[in-house]
Amino acid sequence: MFLQLLVNGLQLGALYALTAVGFSLIFGSTKIFHFAHGATLTIAAYVFYEMYAVLGWHWVPASLVCALAAVVFGVLLDRLVYAPIQRHEGSFFTVFVAAFGVGIVVQNVIGMVFGRAFVSIDSPLSKGVEWNGLILSPIAGIAIVCGLVFFGALQLFLTRTHTGTALRALADNPALVKVYGLSPRRLSTLVFALGSFIVVPAAIITGLTGGLNPAIGHHVMLISLAATIVGGVGSLRGAACAGVLLGVAESLALWVLDPQWSEAVTFVVLFAFILFRPSGFFGRPVTN
Amino acid sequence: MTSYIINLLVLICVNATLAVTLNFIMGYAGIFSLAHAIFFGIGSYVAAYVALHFTGSLLVILPAAMLISALVGLALALPALRVRGEYFVAASLGLQVIGVTVFSEWKSVTGGIGGVMGFPPASLPGLSFESPTAFLIWSVVMLVLILLAINTLLHSSFGRNLQAIRDSESAALAYGKNVAMIKTLSVVFSSALAATAGVVYAFYMSFVNVESFTLDTSVLVMAMVIIGGTGTIWGPLVGAVLLMLIPSLTSYIPGLPQTEVGSIQQIIYGAAMVLLMIFRPGGIMGGKHGGVK
Repeated sequence: MFLQLLVNGLQLGALYALTAVGFSLIFGSTKIFHFAHGATLTIAAYVFYEMYAVLGWHWVPASLVCALAAVVFGVLLDRLVYAPIQRHEGSFFTVFVAAFGVGIVVQNVIGMVFGRAFVSIDSPLSKGVEWNGLILSPIAGIAIVCGLVFFGALQLFLTRTHTGTALRALADNPALVKVYGLSPRRLSTLVFALGSFIVVPAAIITGLTGGLNPAIGHHVMLISLAATIVGGVGSLRGAACAGVLLGVAESLALWVLDPQWSEAVTFVVLFAFILFRPSGFFGRPVTN
Repeated sequence: MTSYIINLLVLICVNATLAVTLNFIMGYAGIFSLAHAIFFGIGSYVAAYVALHFTGSLLVILPAAMLISALVGLALALPALRVRGEYFVAASLGLQVIGVTVFSEWKSVTGGIGGVMGFPPASLPGLSFESPTAFLIWSVVMLVLILLAINTLLHSSFGRNLQAIRDSESAALAYGKNVAMIKTLSVVFSSALAATAGVVYAFYMSFVNVESFTLDTSVLVMAMVIIGGTGTIWGPLVGAVLLMLIPSLTSYIPGLPQTEVGSIQQIIYGAAMVLLMIFRPGGIMGGKHGGVK
């Protein structure tokens, strides 16, 4: 029982971690509070559903189209919504409200196109296989491996390449980045493309394991926001660890608590962190 | 007046009360809360509980609802004193999520998902609120009283201190202002006043259920404040009227299936939030570059 919950928790944690890492990457380097990141996940998940379950494509091209949709959506949002607000020197608050508005529009448009009910994707990938008394689904394994590979690749890119270093510099000093002849705007586009891309495996896992509804991205976004803060804003490693921890905690909590309490428990943890350790596990100290 | 119009006007007044009280902390103290529906809910549940178990007298219910809401408001003031910006948004979101869970799980008080019903009507000595017109008068009187209270407060030294803190917390500190106390009081005040809207709403609907107090409600009230204009007197009122009229207006669009009206309405206000933030961040009544920093 414990092991089964742990496995489920790791799978859920991988999903939260990937979403949180994308959000943290974008927020950390551009200071844009991209609350519509959850909408990216929803769109990607429904595109995958349409290609794979409705049109019957093989999962590989379906995933590719799904990734393309996520990246295009992220980049367009940056260009059409966030960039004009930043040109007016809009505050954090302005960006957040606009992002929230985008989330509302996406959720309702998807609701009108695909319906508001839960849809599940029937696939051999999500069927459970019994192994030593544990029910494992191939997709859970793929999810966890995907999470590790994507995260590792992103870390290597950020620490070992010239562009990656520039991205990290963007967070500290956009003016300096400009002095070195790099365009903060173009770096921002790159960040949105990367951040939106990394959410794709999470979207596919969500669709294949738990099923979809138009609000799914919203829930994952709330948990990812909690993970980002608990892990320490600006720390990708922190966001990933906290995402996995919250997923495992949510799953293990089922031992003693009804599932209705899981979201509340996550937010009690978040509330406590904000009160007593707002810098999170790995973040820099927060000044008021 | 037809009952349809009275119904709309009562709901506009209830929502305007919420928007005005939220604007008080958002626009004048710079505290951006996503948990306003919780205080609305506390008002409603206290009204239903007291009416069901003790008395329908508003002389008991209104103070009780405001007191309990003010106490929970203290919980929101705690993070507001320590962190700003994105951290506070997350903290208030936390309070909202926790609150909804408590509303739907504390079955002995809130009736769980099913909610509370069958409580007696509200009364004042010599008065009983049962007809729609009585509710309309009551909700307008409440709204006007709250507007007067907030306006008076804003023009007092407390109000000026509040705006000084919003504009520069460090400067206010340097002038020896008790920033923590002023912020806490403003959150507590806003929470207590929001609860009065909940009391009107509970008796008007004669039914209380967690559906009315979810994050969607908090976002709707936030949208009213922002679309109308943060930090302005008329903004939240204009926002409340506009957003409450959208559902009625969308029902006149020809060829639109009834089941999609809710979605269309949400899409309209979501899109309005995005476009306003790009072109007019101060809202309809605000300046081009106004709003909260």
